[in-house]
Amino acid sequence: MRLTIFDIENWKEIGATLARNKTRTFMTGFGIFWGVAMLALLTGGARGGEDLLKRNFAGFATNSGGMAPDRTTIPYRGYQKGRGWQMDLTDVRLLRESFPELEAVIPTFQKWNSTFRQGKNSYSGQLIGAESNYTRMLVPKFYCGRFINDADVASERRVAVIGKKVANQLFPGVEEPLGRMVDVNGAAYSVVGVAGDASEVHLNGSLDESIVIPASTFRRANGYGENIDFLMMVARDNANLTELLPKMRSVVYRRHDIHPDDEGAMWVINIAENFEQVDTLFTGIDLLALFIGLSTLLAGVIGIGNIMWVIVKERTQEIGIRRAIGAKPVDIIVQVLCEGAVLTVVSGLAGLSLAALILGVMQYLNNPADAVSPAYFQMSFTTALGILATFVALGLLAGLIPSIKAMRIKPVEAINSK
Amino acid sequence: MIILTDVNKTYQGAVPLHVLKGINLKIGKGELVSIMGASGSGKSTLLNILGILDNYDSGEYWLDGTLIKNLGENKAAEYRNRMIGFVFQSFNLINYKNAMENVALPLFYQGVSRKKRNRLAMEQLERMGLSDRAHHLPSEMSGGQKQRVAIARAMITDPSIILADEPTGALDSKTSHDVMEIFRRLNVEEGKTIVIVTHDPGVAEQTDRLIRISDGLIVPSIHFSETGVVKEACKSSDITENP
Repeated sequence: MRLTIFDIENWKEIGATLARNKTRTFMTGFGIFWGVAMLALLTGGARGGEDLLKRNFAGFATNSGGMAPDRTTIPYRGYQKGRGWQMDLTDVRLLRESFPELEAVIPTFQKWNSTFRQGKNSYSGQLIGAESNYTRMLVPKFYCGRFINDADVASERRVAVIGKKVANQLFPGVEEPLGRMVDVNGAAYSVVGVAGDASEVHLNGSLDESIVIPASTFRRANGYGENIDFLMMVARDNANLTELLPKMRSVVYRRHDIHPDDEGAMWVINIAENFEQVDTLFTGIDLLALFIGLSTLLAGVIGIGNIMWVIVKERTQEIGIRRAIGAKPVDIIVQVLCEGAVLTVVSGLAGLSLAALILGVMQYLNNPADAVSPAYFQMSFTTALGILATFVALGLLAGLIPSIKAMRIKPVEAINSK
Repeated sequence: MIILTDVNKTYQGAVPLHVLKGINLKIGKGELVSIMGASGSGKSTLLNILGILDNYDSGEYWLDGTLIKNLGENKAAEYRNRMIGFVFQSFNLINYKNAMENVALPLFYQGVSRKKRNRLAMEQLERMGLSDRAHHLPSEMSGGQKQRVAIARAMITDPSIILADEPTGALDSKTSHDVMEIFRRLNVEEGKTIVIVTHDPGVAEQTDRLIRISDGLIVPSIHFSETGVVKEACKSSDITENP
């Protein structure tokens, strides 16, 4: 015996039933459409939101931090408060030796308001002196060439990695100015790379507006001696930077005669902690999306169940007639459920389409050509199918109850019902 | 062949209602019988039990050699579909299906292909003189036409028994006569066993035998001859009925 579900009559009947009650079909369909669209938008939107937030941290090593000296705020060992002090390369060596939990300790040097020239073009920006391990902490976005390497530092080479904006200003129309010369504060440097910010948050000024030269070259050119401006560090994966930073500060403070409790004497940034906060925020967003999504789902399912109940109720007599002429319970249940399934699938697909359209627009608006990293306002095909399948499954379940209840009515009672 | 032996039926409720009180009845193959009785006498309940639309509490009901008792809903549906054709007072056509689709519906539940069931439905409609109404909705047809569509639907699975509940109750006298002619023809030409529940003595007179039911019991039958009414006491050796 063939299953009636595969008979075209079944589908014609479904179409006819849905078309007969246009308003009800539309209202129910709209409920499902809206529920699916909201759920899909929340899912895709939450992901896009996460990407936008992550964009702020793109390029940063997650388990990392930085420190820079500031004036003391507590008198200590005969020194008045407000004393200026400098970190130096000895601090770097000390920290490297004292903290094996650190994967990298990275000294950097900066000179603000430096002047860069090329021919008649000039640009005022920041000059950074860095070692090759700079990229362990902060991975720049490369447009061409390379970063400073160990050989550059060892040989005090006059090479430069120039920022994207600097490159555009000094070498207009030149796509890859590698090998070209640039004047940095009166000295000539050969361009070995063009790089820029990988995120929208800058730890030490915008790389787009800077030129990076080897740390050794910087120190010699600017008479820095042993002093450093800023110290960055990357902890190993299993190390807790939040616990390490106070210890590191103590080591440095002891060497420079700074009060152990003088928190103001050092500016400290803990990127690991910020990441944790963002992770917590993401978890919160995910939970909120899940809650709203489940609420929407529940409302949609109640709507489907309600309408299925009405469909079955008002067709009790017809169901009785069909049973009198030979319809088995499964035939009736399948027919009722098919109606719900068709309505759910069609409305759900429409909802997914709307969500995809809105997410597409959001993705377009949030991903300009110069975006440092993409923000995906998307959901996976599996997720979309999952949302639809969940709606259909729960909708069928909701429709199953009134269908089974209808089957419990005796055919003769069903025929005589009005 | 229908045989009922000591069939009882009680509707449970605040006050249980003993509707059928030990019905004994035998309807032979190819008979055209009518059932009459006052309202509440149990005739519709009896018809529903005969049509496997309702269960009975005790006794036995044999239909063409099959004991109809405690059937599962699937089996009952199969028997209703293949062995019984129903005709109702209010036609009970599905109002959004046209005549052909209504007639073809029982075959849909047998899994017969759409092409074949439509062809068979058209044949039945032609026999009822309704081929020109095949694509009309019930709302576009007269009462007589609707009832003929209902009879065509009852006939399409070629059942051995047709059960009709007040088939002429909603029709005028001429149309009633036409409908009864159809039943008569189906009975004579095709040998269908036909059981008609009616309030109308005129309808009953057009059947071979009148089974009267009163207060849940069958009272002596009246057999009709071609020349007129002939009253006969029930002979226990002939047809088993309640004394």
